[in-house]
Amino acid sequence: MSGEVVDGLRRAVLDGDEDAAAALAQRALDGGVTALAAIEDGLAPGIREAGRLFEEGEYFLPELVTAAQAMKAAMAVLEPALAREGGVRSLGQVVIGTVEGDIHDIGKTLVATLLSAAGFRVADEGAGVPVARFVSRAQELDADLVCASALLTTTMPRQRELVAAVRQAGLKARVMVGGAPVTRSWAESIGADGFADNAAAAVTEARALVER
Amino acid sequence: MKPEELRRLLTDRVLLLDGGLGSMLIAAGLEAGRAPDSWNLEQPERVEAVHRAYADAGADIVHTNTFGANPARLAGAGLAGRCAEVNAAAAAIARRAVAGRALVAGDVGPSGHALPPVGNASLDELREGFRLQVHALAEAGVDLLSVETMSDVREALAAVEAGVETGLAVIGSMTFEARRRGTFTVMGDPLVASLRRLAEAGAVAVGLNCSVTAEAMTAMVREAAPALGVPLAAQPNAGLPEMTPEGVAYRADPEAFARHAVAMVGAGARLVGGCCGTTPAFIGRIATELATAGLR
Repeated sequence: MSGEVVDGLRRAVLDGDEDAAAALAQRALDGGVTALAAIEDGLAPGIREAGRLFEEGEYFLPELVTAAQAMKAAMAVLEPALAREGGVRSLGQVVIGTVEGDIHDIGKTLVATLLSAAGFRVADEGAGVPVARFVSRAQELDADLVCASALLTTTMPRQRELVAAVRQAGLKARVMVGGAPVTRSWAESIGADGFADNAAAAVTEARALVER
Repeated sequence: MKPEELRRLLTDRVLLLDGGLGSMLIAAGLEAGRAPDSWNLEQPERVEAVHRAYADAGADIVHTNTFGANPARLAGAGLAGRCAEVNAAAAAIARRAVAGRALVAGDVGPSGHALPPVGNASLDELREGFRLQVHALAEAGVDLLSVETMSDVREALAAVEAGVETGLAVIGSMTFEARRRGTFTVMGDPLVASLRRLAEAGAVAVGLNCSVTAEAMTAMVREAAPALGVPLAAQPNAGLPEMTPEGVAYRADPEAFARHAVAMVGAGARLVGGCCGTTPAFIGRIATELATAGLR
């Protein structure tokens, strides 16, 4: 029974069904499933699968976005219970955004969603984020990771400025960069700590960076 | 130019479009993060030089520097309320640059604001923005309008419909990728069905631009051309951009690109040119290859 509800949560996320996701989250709690189990066995596998389907070219952007919205709706129901359970062990705090001058949101949002599903606390600052805001948010949240996406060759130099600004502010946060035109050699040349060329790799890289 | 005039021109001959503009302006010194559209006001002579180089290379149509000159994007670039001014300036620059040697197409790009479920823009709001832009371009004397790089067919339709209202000929292009299930936009709009809707809305020619290489686009033209009863436009990228420590690199050479352009014409495209990363050298090479092949 509880297995069915948890699997239903996974399906509701995959189907991008917000209403079903919220209702199933409530049913899970009512049936004695912990919020943590509902997330780890239901929502997280669902969003990971949606991310994989998007990267494989099976899902399109609207399907991915509605999957993330369904997960969010379920999380809103689960969060109070999660807090009572003593919270979830976080892998670390992330501040993520697309750099200033760049309105591309897709890849960044996908990475943010998957990082959050993997157990990071994620502050998604959106697109067009100035370097100063990355730094002040990282300071405020005592972030472990700052992730910056740039999709335009014209905006990539902002990633270099960001690395310099994070270092200059003396933050402990490591900096990860990504985006279609970004290469490992670019990441290395600007002194970034991490790089990924797809969202799944970004999660692996992020885990490695916080464990270092 | 009225729709029927462009239609007639396209039955007579293949038209050569220009190549990348933003990437050329960056090469000319446009700083990181600056909107290329701002140069219509600040560096008109540099914009003019790019248009002129394309006309010199043999382009029959050049696009105005207005890809991001809709009110919503301009507001994000610190140019709120200056839509008419920016578009009028861009049209004047292009007309001056080509001096009658080429037609001037008013370029219309996406608003940058996604419709639900991806974003929360409203179709009315997008439509209103496109109307402002195309009317400014039409009043400033562009010969036709070219809607480009759309990934949501609803937004593409709004732009094409606004363009058709001006009475000018309209070309409607969207940007597609090869996916597991076929050729789609990132929003999931399929190639043939989307372009058919743009033609039904009154676009004289419909097309594909950006996102993919000339080789990949050739396959898409082969898929779309036989299924559509309207002229097809094709403007691929010069390979995919890659940021290296030395700067931006596009991995394609003009000769190979031009061979694909000829193949696209063979497959049914009636307008060919380039998108990001292509230069006057690419367009010049296509002109030569098309002439050699007896296609122009």
